[in-house]
Amino acid sequence: MSFCLEIYLQESEDYKILASRSGFKDCAKLIEKEAVKVIHVNPGEKILGARIIGLPPVPIGINEETKMVMIPYTKPCYGTAVIEIPVDDEELARIKSVAID
Amino acid sequence: MKKALVLLGCPEAPSQTPMAVYTACKLSENGYEVTVAGTPSAMKLIEVSDPEEFYIKNKIDIESCLENLEENAFDFLLGFVHKDAAVSYFVTFNHILKTESLALVFEKDAELLGKFEKAVQDNTDAKIISARAYHNPTPLKVKFDRVIKKMEG
Repeated sequence: MSFCLEIYLQESEDYKILASRSGFKDCAKLIEKEAVKVIHVNPGEKILGARIIGLPPVPIGINEETKMVMIPYTKPCYGTAVIEIPVDDEELARIKSVAID
Repeated sequence: MKKALVLLGCPEAPSQTPMAVYTACKLSENGYEVTVAGTPSAMKLIEVSDPEEFYIKNKIDIESCLENLEENAFDFLLGFVHKDAAVSYFVTFNHILKTESLALVFEKDAELLGKFEKAVQDNTDAKIISARAYHNPTPLKVKFDRVIKKMEG
């Protein structure tokens, strides 16, 4: 079964929230500043089983050593958060394959 | 039949629900089959406002709608934009659908209104209706009426 971000966030504690209830632009800046490597994707791209919501180009932070990704996560009433979660090699490769850089 | 998607934002702005019913009505009169997408609480407000589904016949949860959305699945996108998150949602839906779009941008704070309007303008080719509005839907309604009249013509 493919990875589902919504279920993962509900069932796991293995993730970090780096910002919450923020604006998209501030979250994008945070990812650009903090991530080891940054790739960019189009809004609507499916990352970790969920559509990425935001303004193009949407930054995704990647740390290949720790196998962590940093993504913006938006909900209509709660604004945008930045979450960092672990991913496997397959998912990491899939994320890199949809980069527009 | 042409299909229109009305995208709702967070339902805390009082103007949104009456304008959602109004725009759905006007789009239906213009020959569109209208679907309204929103959060569970936004949909609850719609259900209570239009209990017989007289104006809004098709409702869908915003997350399931987004997950299954495909290019040109709708001929027209109308989005309510009154929060930063709503800008992101509208831009994302617009990018996936690649269809004619209209953003109803509203806020009581002029600075935020300008910021949301600019973000939509910079990231989409959507038509924009922008008004300082929160409780009173009239400024939005008047501007929407002008746009829908042009669509009729």
